[in-house]
This record gives sequence, structure tokens and C-alpha cells, in this order.
Amino acid sequence: MADISGHRLFKFPKPQWMNSANTRTAGVYAAGALFSIALFVFIDAATFSKSHLNGSDFHVNFVDWIPGIFSVLGMLVINSIDKSRLSADNFSYSGDGVAWKARVVLFMGFAAMAGGLAGGVTVLVLKYYVREASWPALWFGVGNVVANALIMLSSVVLWVSQNMEDDYTYNLAL
Amino acid sequence: MAGLKTIIVLSFILAIGFLLVILSAALYKNFLTLLVVATYVIAPIPNWLCGRASSQDDFMDSGSSSIVELGRFMTGFLVVMGVALPVVLAHCDLIRPEAMIMSIIGGLLIYSTIISFTMFFHQEEEF
Repeated sequence: MADISGHRLFKFPKPQWMNSANTRTAGVYAAGALFSIALFVFIDAATFSKSHLNGSDFHVNFVDWIPGIFSVLGMLVINSIDKSRLSADNFSYSGDGVAWKARVVLFMGFAAMAGGLAGGVTVLVLKYYVREASWPALWFGVGNVVANALIMLSSVVLWVSQNMEDDYTYNLAL
Repeated sequence: MAGLKTIIVLSFILAIGFLLVILSAALYKNFLTLLVVATYVIAPIPNWLCGRASSQDDFMDSGSSSIVELGRFMTGFLVVMGVALPVVLAHCDLIRPEAMIMSIIGGLLIYSTIISFTMFFHQEEEF
């Protein structure tokens, strides 16, 4: 273990539990849980808009769903990519430009996800905040932003736990 | 190893869980909370299917297969859905808050019964 820690960059070593298989499994479960919370925040806003508790003139249309659709598409794209292809140009067996293609697709995924979050904020500001919605109707916009942020967080957790796997197998190979 | 006592205790817990969910539906004449039972019954299925789909791999690929991780992702999704669904229904005044509490507790009891049943009797399937 000491020879590995000689190569590290930071003062504090990575904690040992970060590399265990149980943490990886828990990370994948947590990503699913976060994605579920995000989807149900969306659904709660849409259902509340349709229920009799919503006395205002504000309603959830298809416009409110567009940022969420983009976030989900970005998450699908990001997590569909084989992570080992990102450094494929360092090896000679792969064809020309595999890593380049992977980075382009990954960039489109990240752009879709960031666009989803930005679109959530846009809907909150333009559709609800500018037109002076009070609290129960303001929840439609706030919930939109919260749901997009949770989808992004879920994607981050999934990404980190999938990269953790590579470190684990690397340590196993040593 | 897991004896008769375990089966009896687990079946009692399962019956109490079903009782709570059905009571939360029938007491308030609103049967939307029965969706919780469907969610928790479906919840372990992705793990079983994906674990079966990846079992042909050799030792080096075990644990790092991405289809197993897809199954775990969907399991986490469905478990949280079982809690989030009554909360959404209660927040939008489709069910009463009492029905929400009863169906959440009942659903968690049902799910923990399923999980502990598979944990107790998993070794005996392999022989």
C-alpha cells in the first residue's frame, strides 16, 4: 500500500472505504433513489397543478416537462458510454478516433444535462417568478429546478461509483 | 439453518404489512394506496433478472457487470417509489395523511419481509 501512496497528489489519502465493493453497490442504489425522488418531485408538481388545492391560474404544461426530458436524455447518454473508451487513444488496438467520438458524445450528454438545469431555472423565472406567482403555484417552478438538480446529482453519484469500480479492479490486479 | 420459527415470524410480519395497506385503502374508501403493494412486489424483480442474466460471466467480470448495476439502479428507484407515491398522493389531497402513514409502514414491512426471506433462504437454492 505504501508504494501506491507515493504517487498520489494530495496530502490526505483517499479513504479506504471508497474502494470497497459495498460502497460501489450502495452508490448505484443511491443513484436510483435520487432519480426516483427527482421523478416524483416532477409528478408531485404536475399532480398538484391538476388537483383542487391549486386555486391559482398557473398550471403545469408540456413546457415544464421539457427541461426534465433533456436532463433524463443527458443522463442516459452519459451513463451509456463505456468509460474505458475515453482513454482508448492511449492504446493502439482501438481504431482511430474512438476516444474523440466518445468525448463528443459525452460532451453532448453533459450539454443536455446542463441545458436541462438551466431550462428549469428559465421556466421558474419566466413562467412563475416574473408573473408573480405566490407560494403554492411557485412550487411548480421550484420543484422543476429541484428535480433537475436531483437528476444531475444522481448522475454524478452513478458516474463516481462506476469509476470507483475501476480503481477497485486495479487494486485487485495489483 | 433458518428454522420454522423464522417462517412463522416472517409470515406474521407480511400479514401485518398487508393488513396495514388494505386497511389504509378500505378505511377511507380510497383504493389508490394499493399501488404501494404492487411497487414493493415488483421491486426485487430487476435484481433477480439482472443477476440471472449476468451469471454466465467468468470470475473477472463478476461484480463489474453493468447489467447488474442497471438492476440495482431500478431496485433503488422502485424502493423509493414505494415511499414517494403515498407522499405525493397525500400532498395532492388524493388520500388522507393517515392513509399515507399506514401505507408507508405497511409497504416497508412487506418489502423487508421479501428481502429477509431471500436472505435467509438464498443458500438453500444453490444445492
